[in-house]
Amino acid sequence: MKTNFIKLAVLVFFMSFTSCNNDDDVSIIETVTLATKTYSNLHAPQTGGQGQPTSGEFTKFSFSEGAIVTSDNWDIAFRGTTLIVNGGTEIGLTDEPTRTGIASVSVVTSTFDNLTTIPAVSTFKQDEVGAYAFSEPWYAYNSVTHIIAPVAGKVYVVKTFNGKYAKFEILSYYKDAPANPDMTSPSRYYTFKYVYQPESETKF
Amino acid sequence: MKKLLFLTLNYWSLIQGFSQEKPLDTLQLNPLNEVVVTATRTERKLSSLPLPTSIITSETISNSGVTRLNEILFEQTGLFTIPDFGGVEGIQMQGLDAAYTLILIDGVPLVGRSAGTLDLSRISVGNIDRIEIVKGASSSLYGSEALAGVINIITKIPKKDILSGNASYRYASFNTTDVTTNLIWKKNKFSGSIFANYFATNGYDLNELTPEKTVESFYNTTFQPKLYYDFSDNLKLVIGTRIYHQKQDYNAIISDENYQGKATINELNSQLKLTHIWNGKIYSEYEVYTTNYKTDEFLNDLSNQPFEATYYNQWLFRPEIRTTISFNKSKLTSGIGFNHETLDRTYFNSNATFNSQYVFVQYDYNPSERWNILSGFRYDNHNQYQSQLSPKLALNYKMSTHFSIKSSFGYGFKAPDFRQLYFDFTNSTIGYAVFGYNVAEERLNELDNQGQILFRTNGIDFNNDLKPESSININVGSYYEKSNFKWESNVFYNAISNLIDTKVIAQKTNGQNVFSYFNIDEIFTYGTENNFHYTINNNLKFSLGYQYLIAKDKSILEAIENDEVFARDQTSLSSFQIKKADYFGLFNRSKHTANFKVLYTIPMLKTAFNLRVFYRSKYGIMDSNNNQILDQYDDFVTDYFLTNLSITKEIKTNFSLQVGANNLFDFTNPTQISNLSGRQLFARLQFNF
Repeated sequence: MKTNFIKLAVLVFFMSFTSCNNDDDVSIIETVTLATKTYSNLHAPQTGGQGQPTSGEFTKFSFSEGAIVTSDNWDIAFRGTTLIVNGGTEIGLTDEPTRTGIASVSVVTSTFDNLTTIPAVSTFKQDEVGAYAFSEPWYAYNSVTHIIAPVAGKVYVVKTFNGKYAKFEILSYYKDAPANPDMTSPSRYYTFKYVYQPESETKF
Repeated sequence: MKKLLFLTLNYWSLIQGFSQEKPLDTLQLNPLNEVVVTATRTERKLSSLPLPTSIITSETISNSGVTRLNEILFEQTGLFTIPDFGGVEGIQMQGLDAAYTLILIDGVPLVGRSAGTLDLSRISVGNIDRIEIVKGASSSLYGSEALAGVINIITKIPKKDILSGNASYRYASFNTTDVTTNLIWKKNKFSGSIFANYFATNGYDLNELTPEKTVESFYNTTFQPKLYYDFSDNLKLVIGTRIYHQKQDYNAIISDENYQGKATINELNSQLKLTHIWNGKIYSEYEVYTTNYKTDEFLNDLSNQPFEATYYNQWLFRPEIRTTISFNKSKLTSGIGFNHETLDRTYFNSNATFNSQYVFVQYDYNPSERWNILSGFRYDNHNQYQSQLSPKLALNYKMSTHFSIKSSFGYGFKAPDFRQLYFDFTNSTIGYAVFGYNVAEERLNELDNQGQILFRTNGIDFNNDLKPESSININVGSYYEKSNFKWESNVFYNAISNLIDTKVIAQKTNGQNVFSYFNIDEIFTYGTENNFHYTINNNLKFSLGYQYLIAKDKSILEAIENDEVFARDQTSLSSFQIKKADYFGLFNRSKHTANFKVLYTIPMLKTAFNLRVFYRSKYGIMDSNNNQILDQYDDFVTDYFLTNLSITKEIKTNFSLQVGANNLFDFTNPTQISNLSGRQLFARLQFNF
């Protein structure tokens, strides 16, 4: 746990450092290539499930910081297989954080790299009472192997809590993203890649 | 093993001892003038039928040395036995799943598809006279389920005034025992047959690390008496009953806990048929059929406390009247009947009842020596789903004495089953729920009132009845037979719409989904089947069968065209786009399948060698790259060969001895093919009287 925390701290430090750098660069060169980053092993535990009501803290993530945050400046949050955004109203889940931002999400069927244009405003959704912004499950559950696999070709464009854009694709739900997870692989560890657009651009 | 070795040694000494005896012709097959009843419900010569039809004779069955129906069907071109839920084996025909083939015994249907598939190993082959297989939609005669085709098991009928019978004992690997007795007699107006079979096996285990076996040990018994009484030449009565009982060990691990129990099956089939010949041109058949299929399963925990108990109890009652009128060049067959079906099972709120009435008409017309036209329709009126009109048209043209071409066009349907309409199931460990279409709305409202529903899926309603799954089927084929060579060929196409599948209708507050059944998919299958038979002489016969098959889902093809289908690369874990050529098709379908069979008889030794080799090209059983479809980047089950060998030796006139091996080269694939047990050696001793 301790080493994980240190790793995480190093990662957070590194990421905030690079993103700061980017910010500086952008102001000088207009057409900078935005960095594609991978966040590994975002732990999203939950209690309950398996027929019982689910509860527990959501793990909140900020794209601008590239890190798990505990402040109100989060964009999306994870708990088990559930994803929520920091925008709209509470869905009605137990231990649900209050929405403090204007975040919303749009799902695009594409490869990650081919998604370069931010989709139409009308496709973005916020959480609301009884409805998820992530309306379709991002995964497929195999009832034989019991594996949760992120559906291929689903890329999410997130309008962040303060109105910037990021795109992300979930790669794995299992610790260290094994190519062929099995029932013994520790789950609820998200690995996803993302691009954060710090400017008010409509392109990635 | 020891037992088998002993028998083998004996066997060779027996060959030595009786090698001077004269040859018997019981091993010789006579494919000419084979008569089938399934295709038209009247007796028809196989070669002149306009439908793709084949026969498995009792000689073929006994030469092969197999004991259960699934084993002999597996050996036929274009039929696969596919493992399904609970280790049940069903048959895939023309690329369609097991749920779409109707299985009949002496013309009346088997029931008991608790999860869609009938377990074909329920049927012993010990008293089978022949198995008739009609491929292609046959709902015009048989109604629901006859969508891919019909398999009709015809049991032996007493023909001559004689008392005859046989008794056999067969022992095989995995401590498998089969004891069969047949008694057939006929005396003037009264005749009958009694068949009894006992089958027991230890099962087998492909993965010894788990406490459950792949197939747990079980035994079953079949008792099948049949009585015939001729009131006169024009009025004949048949009463037949089949009583089947099976008991199997049932072991399970649920959440790391071991549970033990038993699974019991009891089945009853009772048929009463009166044939009335009015005159030389008109005859009627009055038939009453009742069948009951009942299962009971339980699991206890290790301290023997009950953990789970399930049951399934299905009844079918069906009276039917058929009349055939013969004209100069044609035959008119018509029938009327009704089905009364009930099902009481775990996960149903109350008993479910189906009632349907039906009528069918068939006109079998020979305008000239060369032409045969078969046309007909059936109308099914049902209380639970849309009524169905199933037409059929088929033509046979005899180009010469050796060659004929044929084509058929038909409609097939499968009614929504009880489960799809009335299921009321909530998984106790995970918490998801599955509701049948007819009860889903009511159950949803109940859960909603209890505050268990988080939200419902948009745009779901239950206003219209669930539609039957239906198909359009086309066959174009030919039949060639000259001296010692026979070639049957068929090209088939099936388009199936309104396939029923599950869809999420709501999410519960526990985060789990609620499912119900809807008409969703459209699939198509096409391919060709070819069978060659070559008889070098009475002692050496070859046959070769081959099927090419393509089976795909229309909506997946459309999604690929719309650039909506992706796959995940297994190393980079990134998504990439799937092209049309990457799509392999439906799961569990092989493009190429083939079989090669040799029957070699040595008359001097009164011994027959029957070698069969089967090939199946690669196929997929699951998606491995996160797109729910089977594409060329997925993991496949690699192609494989299976070989079965049996050697039958006549000893005097009354005894025969058979030894052999199924899966001779001991091919297994434990993780992907659960119904392949590995090599099974066997020996059988049969006494005929």
